[in-house]
Amino acid sequence: MNVKQAYLFSYNAALCSGWAYVFIHMIMTCVTAVQSGLSLTSPTTLSLVWESVQVPLKVSQSVAIMEVLHAAFGIVRSPVMITATQVASRLWILWGIVCLVPEATTTSVVSLTSNTVFSFELSLITLLTAWCLSEMIRYGFFACKEANMQPYIMVWLRYSGFLVLYPLGVSSELAMVWLALPVIRMKKPLSIELPNPVNFSISYDVICILAVAAYLPGFPQLYGYMLKQRKKTLSSTATASDVTKKKTA
Amino acid sequence: MLDLSFESFKSSPGSGSLSIHYNSFSDYLSEAIMKIVVKNRGGANVLPDGILLSDSATVKDLKEQFHVLKPKTYPSRQRWTIPVKTEGSAGTHQKPTVLNKDDQKLSDYGIVDGSTLIFKDLGPQIGYSTVFFWEYFGPLVIYFLMYLLPTRLIYPSYDGPQTDKSLTQTLAMLYWVGHYAKRIYETFHVHRFSHATMPLFNLVKNCTYYWCFAGYVGYFVNHPLYTSPPLMQTYIALGCSLVCQLCNYKCHVILSNLRPPGSTEYVIPKGFLFNYITCPNYTVEILGWVGFTIATQTLTAGIFTLVGAGQMAQWALGKHARLKRTFNGKNGMPKYPRRWIMMPPFF
Repeated sequence: MNVKQAYLFSYNAALCSGWAYVFIHMIMTCVTAVQSGLSLTSPTTLSLVWESVQVPLKVSQSVAIMEVLHAAFGIVRSPVMITATQVASRLWILWGIVCLVPEATTTSVVSLTSNTVFSFELSLITLLTAWCLSEMIRYGFFACKEANMQPYIMVWLRYSGFLVLYPLGVSSELAMVWLALPVIRMKKPLSIELPNPVNFSISYDVICILAVAAYLPGFPQLYGYMLKQRKKTLSSTATASDVTKKKTA
Repeated sequence: MLDLSFESFKSSPGSGSLSIHYNSFSDYLSEAIMKIVVKNRGGANVLPDGILLSDSATVKDLKEQFHVLKPKTYPSRQRWTIPVKTEGSAGTHQKPTVLNKDDQKLSDYGIVDGSTLIFKDLGPQIGYSTVFFWEYFGPLVIYFLMYLLPTRLIYPSYDGPQTDKSLTQTLAMLYWVGHYAKRIYETFHVHRFSHATMPLFNLVKNCTYYWCFAGYVGYFVNHPLYTSPPLMQTYIALGCSLVCQLCNYKCHVILSNLRPPGSTEYVIPKGFLFNYITCPNYTVEILGWVGFTIATQTLTAGIFTLVGAGQMAQWALGKHARLKRTFNGKNGMPKYPRRWIMMPPFF
């Protein structure tokens, strides 16, 4: 193993552990809450979860900026722009939405159905579940690759996890924006008001809406692309050690 | 004259090989026919039986004949090049010759019976004038409507008193609308485009740019909470802009008279500001928008000016490089004089 491989292995292993830490703490908090009689959608549970994971979450997600540098310096064979866009969107959701107005995003849920018997709520918990699991799979997969191991289970997870996690993640992120917008409109953070000498104004809520409009249309295309990749990779690998296809981070 | 056009010889669409095009009766008599092999850039054959043309066929004939064989691909969508010889000294990257003179004979390019030509489909095309009209008409209308229509319609979130537009706002609107009216006039009466068409997607791209910026600038200048700079500032700045617009018009007229009609040869521009700057039309255009920005003291006008200047700088670099390359002082060509590219004293 050369220096580059050792570094990348350490990086991916470290981040995998970081996200695992976030996930485990979230689970533990949820279990404790449910045992105390609270539901998973109650504001108390969500606040407890946020309190227990916010620091490791912020660290793990922010460190991902390194991946842009990896791509820029050629340490990893990923296109810089795509990596930068992905990291930027995650950082925007974390810092620009969830952390900006936590009173809305870490205490509320978005109900997808009005059925009282069977309902599904998007919340901080579904967001963290999607993020933690997909990151653990992703970093775990790359760590194994740097260690020249490619157990089939890792390949399978990498190319199957997205089927559920990607829609879950995107809809949770949208739910966070949905919850945050009313508070953003009220508090007007990061905004410039008229009148002023240069006749300029910025409304952060408009920026949020534009950001969603920008990345939403990409979702079906990206999902379709990943489905194709899945078919290609999983059908051609009957055994573990044959997988040598290049994948973007 | 006997009608020996391809209509009478045309066989069923798609078969290709039996359609023969004659330019004139004497061509028919001389009956020298050549067959052109048509390949795409991947090396595959585009027409299985090639194209049959008269010996004296022109590029226009080639394009029209191809259009007959492939009805969807009208002439302005076709790009024809002569394949480069791959053998030769290693490293010499020759640019393939493009058949872009419609009235030039194919034989003048050295094309004979059995020659191969490379075909490329440029995609759906749209006329230059059409694109220019729509990309300039939008900003004219959008800004004007933002000025004219009731405040509560354009600025629904504003709930203060409804006031009339100030003198500054009116002057700004007149400058903006006048500018785009001038551009539309120039599109139909001044500019001479060296290409007839451009890709259809450019219409979407260009209109998005112009229309969005028209909205972005117009929104703030016409806002009920707009703060005017001192009136003298507006008068002086817009006065300068007006002078720049007149210079810009003169530059455009000089450019349109640069080439004799129908020619696509490069000519070294001379006279007026062209003696000192390669693209003075861009220079005065940018300065005009700088004046508008100062006159309105609006940040988004400044952003619009900067983005436009950036794009024009790119174009100016290309033009300057092209002119220097063409007029290199060798083989009897005059040498391109030392001039600023677009913005003295730095660029």
